[in-house]
Amino acid sequence: MKSAPFEYHAPSSLSDVVSLLAELGDEAKPLAGGQSLIPLLAMRLTRFEHLIDVTGVAELQGIERVNGHVRVGAAVRQSTAEHDATVAAAVPLLARALPHIGHFQIRNRGTVGGSTAHADPSSELPAVALALDAELEVAGPSGARVVGAEHFFQGTWMTALEPDEVLVAIRYPIWSRAGYGFRELARRHGDFAIAGVACAVSLGNNGNVERAAISMFGMGSTPLRGRAAEEALVGEHPGKVDVDSIAEAAVAEMEPTDDIHAPAWYRKRAGARLVTLALTEALEEAGRVDA
Amino acid sequence: MHELEMTVNGESVRASVEPRTTLADFLRDDCGLTGTHLACEHGVCGACTILVDGAAVRSCLMLAVQARGADVTTIEGLSPADGSLNVVQEAFAACHGLQCGFCTPGFVVSVTAFLDQNPSPTDDEIVEGLSGNLCRCTGYQGIVKAVRQAAQANAGNN
Amino acid sequence: MASSVEHLAAASALAPSARLVGTVVRRKEDPRLLTGRGRYVDDVRVPGTLSAHFVRSEVARGRIVGLDTTAAKAAPGVVAVLTAADVNGRLRGRMAATPLLDMVNVPERPLADGDVRFVGDPIAVVVAESRALAEDAAELIEIDIDPSPAVVDFERAAASTDILVHEGERDSNIFSSLAVPPDDELASILSSSAHVLAETYRQQRYHAVPMEPRGVLAWFDPPSGEFRVWISTQSPHDVRSVTSRITGVPETHVRVTMGDVGGGFGQKAYLLRDEQVIILVAHLLGRPVKWIEDRRENLLAASSARIERCTVTLAADDDGRLLGASIDHLDDAGAYPLSASPGTMAALYFTGPYRIPKYAFSTASAWTNTVPRAPYRGPWQIETFAREQAMDALARRIGVDPLELRRRNVIDRGELPYVMPTGMSLVHVSPSETLEQAAELIGYDAFRAEQAAALAEGRLLGIGISLYIEPQANFGVYSAEPAHIRVQTNGCVDVYLGSGSHGQGLETTTAQLVADHLGVAIDDVAVHQGDTAQTPYAFGTGGSRSGPILGAAIRHAALELHEKAVAIAAGMLEAAPADIEIIDSVASVRGTPSRSVTLTQIAHTAYFAPEQLPPGAEPGLEVISRVPVTDPLYSNACHICTVEVDRHTGEVRILRYVVSEDCGVMINPAIVEGQIDGGVVQGIGGALLEEFVYDEAGNPLTTTFLDYLLPTAADVPMIEHGHIETPASSPGHYKGVGEGGAIGAPPAVANAVNDALAQIGARVDRFPMSPPRVLEAIDRARPTQ
Repeated sequence: MKSAPFEYHAPSSLSDVVSLLAELGDEAKPLAGGQSLIPLLAMRLTRFEHLIDVTGVAELQGIERVNGHVRVGAAVRQSTAEHDATVAAAVPLLARALPHIGHFQIRNRGTVGGSTAHADPSSELPAVALALDAELEVAGPSGARVVGAEHFFQGTWMTALEPDEVLVAIRYPIWSRAGYGFRELARRHGDFAIAGVACAVSLGNNGNVERAAISMFGMGSTPLRGRAAEEALVGEHPGKVDVDSIAEAAVAEMEPTDDIHAPAWYRKRAGARLVTLALTEALEEAGRVDA
Repeated sequence: MHELEMTVNGESVRASVEPRTTLADFLRDDCGLTGTHLACEHGVCGACTILVDGAAVRSCLMLAVQARGADVTTIEGLSPADGSLNVVQEAFAACHGLQCGFCTPGFVVSVTAFLDQNPSPTDDEIVEGLSGNLCRCTGYQGIVKAVRQAAQANAGNN
Repeated sequence: MASSVEHLAAASALAPSARLVGTVVRRKEDPRLLTGRGRYVDDVRVPGTLSAHFVRSEVARGRIVGLDTTAAKAAPGVVAVLTAADVNGRLRGRMAATPLLDMVNVPERPLADGDVRFVGDPIAVVVAESRALAEDAAELIEIDIDPSPAVVDFERAAASTDILVHEGERDSNIFSSLAVPPDDELASILSSSAHVLAETYRQQRYHAVPMEPRGVLAWFDPPSGEFRVWISTQSPHDVRSVTSRITGVPETHVRVTMGDVGGGFGQKAYLLRDEQVIILVAHLLGRPVKWIEDRRENLLAASSARIERCTVTLAADDDGRLLGASIDHLDDAGAYPLSASPGTMAALYFTGPYRIPKYAFSTASAWTNTVPRAPYRGPWQIETFAREQAMDALARRIGVDPLELRRRNVIDRGELPYVMPTGMSLVHVSPSETLEQAAELIGYDAFRAEQAAALAEGRLLGIGISLYIEPQANFGVYSAEPAHIRVQTNGCVDVYLGSGSHGQGLETTTAQLVADHLGVAIDDVAVHQGDTAQTPYAFGTGGSRSGPILGAAIRHAALELHEKAVAIAAGMLEAAPADIEIIDSVASVRGTPSRSVTLTQIAHTAYFAPEQLPPGAEPGLEVISRVPVTDPLYSNACHICTVEVDRHTGEVRILRYVVSEDCGVMINPAIVEGQIDGGVVQGIGGALLEEFVYDEAGNPLTTTFLDYLLPTAADVPMIEHGHIETPASSPGHYKGVGEGGAIGAPPAVANAVNDALAQIGARVDRFPMSPPRVLEAIDRARPTQ
């Protein structure tokens, strides 16, 4: 399985990346970790005339805490983020999700931005971005812009990125007085999830839930928030939540499809179970943090 | 074609490669290092695992051009020059951790990296750490035992 | 050879007592394999080698109405683009493996010719300077196939007369069948006994999946005049025979080499169609051609197995004692099977370890528009898969514990030899002993208590037993293996085998046997296999024969050499042969170590001073033995497995797995356990994870390792072992062990899962027992609100 030929570029600045994208348009594809793209190329399921390696670009590197969010450069390796103290402290949901991505060998090359922008419906990082209402920094020939996670994921392998745009960084908001839960169910450890949930709750001054996110993956063509279920949580005391009902409500809003690994009805059932577990964990943690 | 230079098993290598050539194919075909094996070419089985700048990666999922300037170590580079076995290899031999040997270099490299990161793993951590490498002959029994033994041997040496 | 086995057995009493046989000896293969110095077919470099790439049908059935290779031929680096018109006419003989020539009755065509009969059917071969360039060129080939409806489901194929996989061959898709119908007595038993269970068991399609896909390099070597083939195979000598047959090159001028092989499990036992095409292409082009199968091809075009249906009827009295049984078996052979149906073996051995006085069977094999069937570890295992699940089902029907039901029916040692209703005579097996040992190891009764307590907490635990006997194939060419042992002039020993070891550690077990029986240090023994120019003829490795049959030959040859060496030493030391012992390559008079000669000195006499040999002794120190082992050979084992089923998600977690096995005298316990464990994990894969799926049109859906799920280390427990040693009557008393794990495991796991589910009235009968299938079964038993 050898891929079709392509040209390879390794620019060292974001402006060079943008120029190349402007020049080459949809014949070019940014290459970050390659863990998703290279197998597709090898199997000739996709092809591009040009690959633009963005891992040498400074603007796409770095993990920094600034102004209530943590900015993670798109080309930061998943393993780097997984072991980063800032991420662990300030974006625990991301820290908990990362070990579920494939295997450690994959995470040594895969990038936070690459996996997010690849937008596989069964993958973890888009759901995390959506849960936290992250903001995605995008650059292209028409300039730089910021896209909210809510608008970024548009379909299976489809995002708000234009063909000549590249994801530069992800800003994960820092939640306070918060608890998190991350669960997924896969046939084997490291496989694409059949269903999964990234869950976050934060408490208000009165100790009740002020904000909640139940962000599911494997349940539609994009990650999906169970908004009605989240609304039902707001105002509730964390110790008094009927977690099973919330889980049912969340899953009722999902739109999974059948595939070879699981039918839609199973994704919903498994998903509900995962929400129960993740939400329980998040509420308990929020309650402890708050105590 | 791209000119590139990298270090492979401690030696400087210069070559001219097509961009589409994977690092795995470059090592096998251009460098003659056939110890790294291809069993799936889509990044699932781990037979092609090597170290790049000390980190375990699937060489079938890396382009040779992406390794420009990198420090690459293959199974040949991990093996003592005098033909003896290193600690991990010794543990595999002692614990019957291989049969046909096709997946073995990938396991040895992965386990080497794994124990570097986690010198005293629990059994759960061991099987999770091994779950990115497929074996069809051993049923993993001897491999798990080999990781335990190698971890103990390393601890004993320190 | 005038020496009888008994004579050599007596001689062995004089040899040093076994030091290495029966012990865990480090494998000789390991140092090179651990350091990346193995040599698999893709590691072999012949100057001027071209790379081949197949273009395969993407349609399961249809007429090729257009095939234009013009653009591909002109692509960069392309040397040739070949189709049936170029290749098929060069086929000079049968494609079937030599022992199967009378059994294979399917059209034999190298490349698809005018029509295609399964997705993956090879239509063209591109030969270019590199695989990448060949794949580039392949995209330029224009193929136009007019599709027609395919028959994918084998049960439908068996019944169909309008969609025929091989039109013009027969008027049905059933191409082989065998039946022994019930007589009146059995018919009566099967209808009117106190308990009659009739169940249908269906096994899914799953594959051997060796980690090294297939590969072959073929080239003409002018200096030697030989046509050479380097191939990943289990059977180098048969590759030589078939290569000669299909190319017309005399066998004396064909040399096949098998280096290191990355697993086979039966998929590489016979030279399959794609490899034969490459051999023909290399022969045609007169240039070295290499083809290395990629994983996608290995999954969709190499071979298939296990997809069978077995309807079982078991009749028992009030106490659950079996009175009679019958099976109706059908297997899916795919489109171009170059192998024999497993149905006959399955039917012959179905009654297995139980006392079943009367039995009837029918078995048939059907073609379908899918990838062809080839052997896979324990090809006949459907008999255990079906029988052991039927035993559990019968136990539940009667209200008896499955262990107890087995106890009431298992053949006891005292009943041996037990003649099965099919006439096969069971000897030196120990099913009852393995059942008891496994039950004790797993703590069966304690587990039942634990299971009840867990149910009270809402958790589902289950325990499953699988009990089986495993025949080794020792008929015809499989009944004898050669061992050629030569003591060199420097006292070192070379052993040449006709085997095709692909992970079983034959270099090591052979050396253990030779070391013990000849009296040499194991490090002085070098074992050679795989090169037809160097090794004696044998069919190859498979069928669990390396222990019993090859072991018998090696032992015999080593003992014969020992006898010769002792005779020469006795002459040199002026002592009686009965007083000579050879230890660590030194022959001395027992009790007087100072009176000794080395094996080197003995060899020197044998080769350089034959006039000093005892009268009648042949010069040299070299022997080749073939010991027919035709007495029945059986291993047996009991597997017991415990699981927990998550009732929210249907996920199955294996808690413990115990195997009590009897393979006679063990040559190397680590290798024995390794063979069992590998098979068990493949069986766990079959029970819980692996399935090769086609859609209704015959398109394969699981063509990567993301979709075809192999077990990982995180999916399997640490397997626990018990051993029982019932010696075989064969020389050395070794029995086979290679296939049992894969036979015993699927029903052990299935029974455990269904034992857990039976507590809530649920049952899974589709495989693999994936979480959705398990959850669906739970729902059926207790509908959700």
